[in-house]
Amino acid sequence: MTDQTLPNPAVPADDAVTRETFVERYRKPLLGALAVLLFFIAWQAVFLVVPFNALFISKPNLIFSGLAELVVSGELWADLAVSAVPFLYGFTAAVVVGVTIGIVMGWRVRVGYALDPLMTVFYASPLVALAPLLIVFFGVGVSGKAIIIFLLSIFPFIFNAYAGVRAVDRLLINVVRSLGGKEKDLYLKVIVPSVLPYIVAGARIAVGRGLIGVLVGEFFAASEGIGYAIAKFGDLFALDKMFACILSVMIIAVVLTEGIRWAERSAFPWRVGQ
Amino acid sequence: MPAYIQGRNVNLTFRPPNRGPVRALYGFDIDVNEGEFLSIVGPSGCGKSTFLNVLLGLIRPDSGDLRMHGKPIAGPGTDRAMVFQEFGLLPWRSVQHNIELGLELKGVPTETRHNVSQHFIEMVGLSGFEGHFPHELSGGMKQRVGLARALATDPDVLLMDEPFAALDAQTRDLMQVELLRIWQEARKTVLFVTHQIDEAIYLSDRVMVMTKRPGHAKKIFPIELPRPRDYEMRVTPEFNDLKLEIWHALKDEITI
Repeated sequence: MTDQTLPNPAVPADDAVTRETFVERYRKPLLGALAVLLFFIAWQAVFLVVPFNALFISKPNLIFSGLAELVVSGELWADLAVSAVPFLYGFTAAVVVGVTIGIVMGWRVRVGYALDPLMTVFYASPLVALAPLLIVFFGVGVSGKAIIIFLLSIFPFIFNAYAGVRAVDRLLINVVRSLGGKEKDLYLKVIVPSVLPYIVAGARIAVGRGLIGVLVGEFFAASEGIGYAIAKFGDLFALDKMFACILSVMIIAVVLTEGIRWAERSAFPWRVGQ
Repeated sequence: MPAYIQGRNVNLTFRPPNRGPVRALYGFDIDVNEGEFLSIVGPSGCGKSTFLNVLLGLIRPDSGDLRMHGKPIAGPGTDRAMVFQEFGLLPWRSVQHNIELGLELKGVPTETRHNVSQHFIEMVGLSGFEGHFPHELSGGMKQRVGLARALATDPDVLLMDEPFAALDAQTRDLMQVELLRIWQEARKTVLFVTHQIDEAIYLSDRVMVMTKRPGHAKKIFPIELPRPRDYEMRVTPEFNDLKLEIWHALKDEITI
């Protein structure tokens, strides 16, 4: 038998391959938006059958006009701006303190063993129930609320940083050590960069808990802020505006969470698909 | 006169928690000449990778004497560098910054680092990929980065722990050719751990066969095939005779 050389078929150029359409490309967000839309339509439609009483419930058209009123009058922005201050303080402190505790717990085995049960207990405990006490300790001003937000949002940072350190690839540690790296280099060149995606993932969870902290703090002691506005409109039976405020908090939560998700995808491309 | 790298009666026992101790190296002796390419083959778990880690300074032996340039190995040092089987690239660093890692740790200034990494990027054939990240590279390219990173610190000895085991057969063949070319250019002493007898013969000046665990040298085969070597050499009778001899020394040590 002799060797056989086979002929090469002509290959079409890459751009001859059909491109995906707009709908195919954005299938995921489009379907998500569609579900939200259907939810509001269903909510509105229920009251075609069920009698409507504005003292007990509201419906989307009233909520959206209430929201428009609050936006135009500037009330909403003023309340959000007030609430943003303790949120920023509490959340920033949670990032710094939580990540530090988590990394040390992960890298120093004994610290991890010692603190793990304690942290789990705190995480599982109903910290919200302590809110009145914290307000008494730290006052009705910014600091009391910031502390509540801090305590609610710190745990995802601790646990994720802790898990992140334990998931650090030992091979990379050996690589840096073999090239003459010291303890400091292990932190800076390997541990922190590999933990970073875990911290950002933790931030996604922490944002939701932090926003709960904002509302809880203001329910107990405030004269302005978005949580105060929700409570106030509830007391006044202005349910359209109450729901409008709740809706704005939900939108903020979604925007922050999705923003973080987007940041994760663009900042840590090597983790995509993991 | 002592050899360039000299090990005498090196012993190491692992004591993993909750399990019995494992003797990894026992009475391990080795002599490596300056500039030579020495391969170590042995059954799985015989301690050959462990020995590289001991020589690298990451693991301290329990007893015995291990020296390089006549000085005992006391920890990692810039005179030795390892190429790892699983590459060990930092996923958040580009090709260039992975290669510069060792220089960075040595405190080499940015501009010098850049020149050095450029030189080795060219040497390993990765020009145009400086800004790529590891997840964008093929296995063969990843190991080129691993090799360039090890060479960039200008070590005297290159330790290679089954560096091509994670690559497919054809890529592996091409990487062997590349490695010989780079070795001839860079003139380093190389200790190369592998499971493949072919690979060991093709690359080496000498091949050391290890016993099963606890591992030590069983037999050393000088490979007197002329250099430069080419792919065709692998089908010559001389090559095959050596392969058979080494296989006979190795097969008694292998248990499945």
